[in-house]
Amino acid sequence: MAQRIQNSLLPSLSSSTSTTSSLSRFSNTCTSSSLLPLPQPASRSFSTSGCRQTRLRRTMFNWLEGKGAELKHHVPGELNYLTHTNKPFPLNEQYRSEPILSEALRNEIYDRVIRKKQSVRGVSVEFGVDMRRVGAVVRLVELENRMRDQGKSLALPYARAVHEMVPTTPYVEGDRIRHESINDLPVHRLTDPQIFYPVSESREFNRFDAGRAFSAAPALPHKITSEMKEQPDETIRKITQGLSPIETVGKREDEQQVLLPADARIPHPHMIVNDRNRLTIGKTEPKEVRQRYRERLAQESERDQYRKDRIQQHLERTTQKVEPENSRFEFRFRDVVVSRETTGPTGRGHLAPGRRYGIPSYDRKKGEVKIPTRVDV
Amino acid sequence: MRNRATISLKKPKVRQSWSKYNLYSLSTQRDPFFSARTFFQQKWTAKSMLRAYHGEQVSEKQWQRMFSPRARSVVPMNTFSLAEDDGSAMSAGRGSGLEKPAQTETTSEDSRKPRLHGKWKEERNTPYTHMTFAPLERRLDTAIFRAMFASSARQARQFVVHGAVTVNGKPMRHPGYLLNPGDMFQVDPERVMYATGAPKDKVERRQGRVARKKASEARAAEEAAEEAAAAEEAKEEATKEEDPTKKESPRETLKALMAQAKAIMASSKDALPAKRKQQLRGFQKAVRRVLSRSENSTVLTANLEEQFSELTTLLKAKRAETKPAKKEKKEGQEVEGQKAETVEAEAKNNESSAAESTEKSESEDAAQKKDESGAVTTQLSEAFRQAIENPEKEVDTSELTDEEFEVLRRALIQMRDNPIDSTKPYATPWRPRDYMSAFATIPRYLEVNHNICAAVYLRHPVARPGFAEVPSPFGEHLMTPAFLWYLRRR
Amino acid sequence: MVVRIRLARFGNKHQPFYNIVVAQARSARDSKPIEVIGTFNPIPQRPTGLSDEQAITARSYKDIALDRSRAKYWLGVGAQPSDGVWRLLHMAGLIEAKKVPNKMK
Repeated sequence: MAQRIQNSLLPSLSSSTSTTSSLSRFSNTCTSSSLLPLPQPASRSFSTSGCRQTRLRRTMFNWLEGKGAELKHHVPGELNYLTHTNKPFPLNEQYRSEPILSEALRNEIYDRVIRKKQSVRGVSVEFGVDMRRVGAVVRLVELENRMRDQGKSLALPYARAVHEMVPTTPYVEGDRIRHESINDLPVHRLTDPQIFYPVSESREFNRFDAGRAFSAAPALPHKITSEMKEQPDETIRKITQGLSPIETVGKREDEQQVLLPADARIPHPHMIVNDRNRLTIGKTEPKEVRQRYRERLAQESERDQYRKDRIQQHLERTTQKVEPENSRFEFRFRDVVVSRETTGPTGRGHLAPGRRYGIPSYDRKKGEVKIPTRVDV
Repeated sequence: MRNRATISLKKPKVRQSWSKYNLYSLSTQRDPFFSARTFFQQKWTAKSMLRAYHGEQVSEKQWQRMFSPRARSVVPMNTFSLAEDDGSAMSAGRGSGLEKPAQTETTSEDSRKPRLHGKWKEERNTPYTHMTFAPLERRLDTAIFRAMFASSARQARQFVVHGAVTVNGKPMRHPGYLLNPGDMFQVDPERVMYATGAPKDKVERRQGRVARKKASEARAAEEAAEEAAAAEEAKEEATKEEDPTKKESPRETLKALMAQAKAIMASSKDALPAKRKQQLRGFQKAVRRVLSRSENSTVLTANLEEQFSELTTLLKAKRAETKPAKKEKKEGQEVEGQKAETVEAEAKNNESSAAESTEKSESEDAAQKKDESGAVTTQLSEAFRQAIENPEKEVDTSELTDEEFEVLRRALIQMRDNPIDSTKPYATPWRPRDYMSAFATIPRYLEVNHNICAAVYLRHPVARPGFAEVPSPFGEHLMTPAFLWYLRRR
Repeated sequence: MVVRIRLARFGNKHQPFYNIVVAQARSARDSKPIEVIGTFNPIPQRPTGLSDEQAITARSYKDIALDRSRAKYWLGVGAQPSDGVWRLLHMAGLIEAKKVPNKMK
């Protein structure tokens, strides 16, 4: 009985006990509800005329008792949709119910990141879980632990029921888990229009060049492109780790960065390097490939940390914290710059500090949105 | 706001709701017959049908302001094919990109094998028009409904307005708050249990009324007693020093916690914000109350095995206190059903720190139920009874088979997590409401932790080849005309 | 005429927010100043991203943005800070504390 459940960590009893107990309950409710669609039950005990039920209502209850009856209660671990597939909406072919993380997988991710101190990037690749999701899982499990410590009431039976109803990605130790695609490339606005870009047949036109063509940047000289072609990994690494600045085109308001190739824009560019290594030397030296991958991963996470630290340092450098003795509060002085560049020619530039003059504020106007747009953690 | 989200059978409309009426309209839903109608009519019909589902609580004007013709989309990239070539192969030669790749390449057992670019194109289109209502998915009330914390978008909205929802730990009372990527929202678990659980039937409702009445009586008596107790406790606190030789009991930990709280308050008098101080004071009070009343308040432990052993010890301890309970032997219909009732008091007491005023009435309830229920002739229930009646002895599990032991264990856990409690606004033990499973789906742009009823809005919903992340009961046939309707003025 | 460094109130009812401005002393509070050199948010903010222990002892903070070099320049050319701004500038370490005449005597 307990084996039907997919999710191994969930205590299996909810399926057995709750379904059995609810079944006995169900028989009660069923008899009472089956009274409803009967032709004409008396609406009042003293009334002689029956209560009218429309044809539509009758057909509805007939459907609910016939075809719809199986949708009333779920079988743990099975999808229970109208369509009998993983599509909850019969008419929408483009939507399907996708698996969520099982308890076990969620706890494993938390364990890896917090206890074993593995990098988010590494865990993301290993379990095929988006990096943002890894971060969210850590946050949520942390909150859960805190709530348990505080003895707050949790919705455990509800959580169990939901995990029985929706598909889940189980965690099986040693298995290769792929929860979702982790290398999603966002479609850039610049790639929307189709453009006609003639290229001589003798020239190689790769993804780098395509990006430049889309952002109307001039083609690179042959010398640079051939260098890039010789060391594709190094070129991409420099861009993604922020070692070489991204070129820009256009002037003033129209200034924008040159569109980078997909190799640099996906979340895990280091996987391309790994795959390239596998293609070239994977057959002969698989150990070397793995070694390089580990090194690269370490480098990547080191770089991530470095970036975070730099932001933090910059913040600390530019803020002065003062705690006066006679005050309950701390005063934080941020450094800002007031200059021609920040205020702009009109004096209304957005980079300069302060609320603007000469611009009406519609905060009292009817229909104006007064809902906060941001809540800080 | 008046609820216009009624469901009529004559003109069925699909709503964001889990009701059976909605399920029926979902099952009878058909694509409208468009061929004999003008383009304007098609668009009008489509958008009116879709708006009944998507953001029905949002006014048309507001929605039109939110609408954006730009749909977010992504393409899942295969790193293997990116590694294989730098894209120059596609543009080589005539560069038209229309030549079809050789079919043999794509049929492979290894999923990581390269897939040629041309294949993607002919295979699946990205359903951009399905993203028409994606901006509405950012709304807090819609996100709560999508995370399955409420049984309808209207209910989700009510939760927000009534202050049961926090965003990033801060209360948020605007249902129209647009979530930013990375925002965490949480709904009060009790409300979620109420929203998603089966409703009470007549008998249960009556039990609830009785329990409430008793509780209020008990509270009145308690208040009088508490004043005396508080004074006493204060004296006791002053005189009694902590005893390190004693073994760690929950009582001990509670005391330690209280001492800690005191220390904090004493040490940093000026640095502490006023609100903190209030909280600490409240905490001290609560601890004192628990200390004075119950012997066994434990913090919930994560490990199930631990919980079990803890529960058995608790069982014993509890019986030692509230002896003697009479036991009439009656035949029950269901082993677990019976146990459900007997363990209830103990299970509840586990959470005694939370349940304060209701505790008394509950234990009374449980005592009544114990009288009704009794042992079943099986060995299992015998062992169970032993566990309850002879708390001093170890539970005699030697006669039990492994399977039975397992059942016993599960029953105890179940009772701990999902107790019978007539004071709750939903049927207890909790079970999902009818037809919930037919609507159960959680989109990928949310990461949900159902235990604590919290979710993180990871990113905005996106479309990908062959798949749109916005859950919607409508197909291409309606989505495209509706998209065109909203596109017209832009 | 005296040039003063003073606060100009923005924000809504119960939500004060100030620009730290350099303006002619006789000009209206809300008129366009000579220059805006910073902002002052008097509503205490809770610090974010703290652990539980830190959160207990952490003080709320008031956020001030200030262009130090401009403030120094204006002080150097004889601009007179108002009392409130004087306090802020003193905390930022730009000027000495104001000597308040003891009124009790």
